[in-house]
Amino acid sequence: MAEEKKKKHKKRRTATKAAASIGPMVKEFIGGTNRARAEGTHKIAYTFIVCHHEEILRAMDVLPVWTENFAGICGAIRDSERFLQRAESLGFSRSLCTYALCGLGFDQWREELGEMPPNAPWGGQARPDFMVSTGQILCDPRAKWYQAAQQYMPDVPIYNIDLPYPLYDPNHDHREVWGYYHKYIVKEMRGFVSFLEEQTGKKMDYDRLKEYVALSDKTWNLIEETYNLRAAKPCPMGTGDAMNTMVPMNFKMASQEAYDFYVGLNAELKEKNAKKEGIVANEKYRLLWGGGLPSWFALGDFNYFNSKGAVFPAETTYRMVAPLDEMDIPETDDPIEHLAWKWLGYWTFWYDRARKRPGSHPDVEWLINYIERYDIDGVVMHEAFSCRSWHVGLIWQLQQLAKIYKPIPVLMLGDSGQKKEGKRELPSLILESDIIDITSYSEVDTRNKIDAFIETLESIEKSKIN
Amino acid sequence: MNKYFAGIDIGSTMTKAVILQEGIIASVIGPTGPEHRILANRVMEEALERAGLPFSSISYIVSTGYGRINVPFADKQVTEISCHAKGISYLFPRAKTIVDIGGQDSKAIKIDTNGRPTDFVMNDKCAAGSGRFIEVIADTLGLRLEDMGGISLQSGNPAKVSNVCTIWAQQEVASSLAKGAPVSDLVAGIHRSLADRVARMVKRLRVEKEVVLTGGGAKNIGLVHALAEQLEEEVQIPEEPLITGALGAALLGRDITDKAAKNNTALKTKERVLETVKIL
Repeated sequence: MAEEKKKKHKKRRTATKAAASIGPMVKEFIGGTNRARAEGTHKIAYTFIVCHHEEILRAMDVLPVWTENFAGICGAIRDSERFLQRAESLGFSRSLCTYALCGLGFDQWREELGEMPPNAPWGGQARPDFMVSTGQILCDPRAKWYQAAQQYMPDVPIYNIDLPYPLYDPNHDHREVWGYYHKYIVKEMRGFVSFLEEQTGKKMDYDRLKEYVALSDKTWNLIEETYNLRAAKPCPMGTGDAMNTMVPMNFKMASQEAYDFYVGLNAELKEKNAKKEGIVANEKYRLLWGGGLPSWFALGDFNYFNSKGAVFPAETTYRMVAPLDEMDIPETDDPIEHLAWKWLGYWTFWYDRARKRPGSHPDVEWLINYIERYDIDGVVMHEAFSCRSWHVGLIWQLQQLAKIYKPIPVLMLGDSGQKKEGKRELPSLILESDIIDITSYSEVDTRNKIDAFIETLESIEKSKIN
Repeated sequence: MNKYFAGIDIGSTMTKAVILQEGIIASVIGPTGPEHRILANRVMEEALERAGLPFSSISYIVSTGYGRINVPFADKQVTEISCHAKGISYLFPRAKTIVDIGGQDSKAIKIDTNGRPTDFVMNDKCAAGSGRFIEVIADTLGLRLEDMGGISLQSGNPAKVSNVCTIWAQQEVASSLAKGAPVSDLVAGIHRSLADRVARMVKRLRVEKEVVLTGGGAKNIGLVHALAEQLEEEVQIPEEPLITGALGAALLGRDITDKAAKNNTALKTKERVLETVKIL
């Protein structure tokens, strides 16, 4: 098996101190799981982000190992190829989710050796006591990955939480059915608590859980407020940094550390806004990262955009919170019931707004809302070939956006050849590569596309009718 | 005083130069080699010779194409998207959609009334969506590239080429040939396959009339027919499709010069020297 020699990858320059602090935070987190494994202080669970179960895990003193996160780290430090190749040699196709492939390659190697693979990134991924998968709609590896991992860890049990939400229907209010969903999710979560009680030999302390749920609610609202500070001109923090600052939101929710992190980021952004300190000295274009996971090995492309005067004040990727006070969810004292409502409130957040705009859709409505809130000039997306769930809707979202939302007044050429006033859609760019498979990426081609997109933005700016 | 402008387009397969005054006064096309800077010098020298001009008479030079940064004497670098838009708009004022099929990539560009790009898509990932596809198959069949288009039009029953990878398609063609499939059917099938892939990319932009095909692919009559069929639109072809990027670059140079004169600002240009570049 080819083993890639570890090369030192140049660190990306961040705009905020908060984003720069994330690397050490994640390193410490991964180190913590390995210490816990060695010392047997905590039970360790493989699991996925965006399951609204962090509060439950923390209340039961279970340490989550976010397997997608570990694969992302391998990608970011350009050390995923040897794990991907190993998974391929085990018979897994490269066209599967490369997060899963990387994790499977790593796990098989660790299990075969009985210790971490040589030079394991950031100390490696700790062996779990159990795995918590999810049959939710987000993506297929969430259910299948751990089943495959069990081939190499047959003694490690899997618990699957099913977290559905009502699909969007322009003709029906989701509230007509969400009570059924809520009942089901609550049952799933209570089943999860029983599983954890069985695994840890401890009983759930519901008062403690309530405290964690309250802390996470407080953090949700703080994140919303903090990220809205990025609407300032010049923009104080872009998507490149947000791909770091999403870590506490997605991996450390329901912890004081996460809350304190956003208190710090909030203060830093307010200070930058007061000083009019932007990411770039001369901000020309404001772009929306409208979907798709980033290429973790090429986050420097965000800096390349910056070098052309383009900034990303917002992104839909990893913005896994929504303002709780704008969610029409019932109040309850039961923390499990509240977690289930929050889940439903988050996933149906854009439904009402979408129903009001003919031809819209929640994902498209989300884009339009951010385009207006952050005063956006263009939309950039990333089609990661191995991420099917993101891949599926991106082009459609852009086409639908272009069809129903034309905010730019320009002179157009009519069928008779005469120039006439009209309105056009926002320009968009779709980057193509992968989340961690660097063999899918060409820096020259990507940057050529970025250059062409910047020229397109320039030309649209010139065509605008004032 | 007469003003002259030059555009140099270093593509993956061919390097092109255009010298412009009111219209095109000279153009040169040569194969791109491993050393872009030498090629840039060579085509520029030849274009100047054909135009009968000294290098110092060129007011502004814009380079484009994927090798654009390797033109040491260029005053500005602009991507091929903007240059094709400008060049095609000059030749076809009513064009709204441009398809460029080059040697190693293909792209589609939407343009506005002023010849400015407003949207684009590029295929730079798959050789089977570029001119390289036909080149490889021509080689497999022992045919000349320039004959491929004409041969494809002789087919009454184009073969179905199911492989989407150039290498596997090459094998599929070789195997069909061994089974006795007529060459014209195989060649037509290959043209359809490429046109289908390019059309799918173009449709992402929502095709609007007039559609112009440029790049090396536009020199292949079989591909022009196949693409028009797939797009269900008439496809226009420039007289010399290889130089539209270089023409656009020269036109952009003229715009920059005019704007500077209008605003009474100094034009930043490089020294007009064709340096000697040595290959190791």
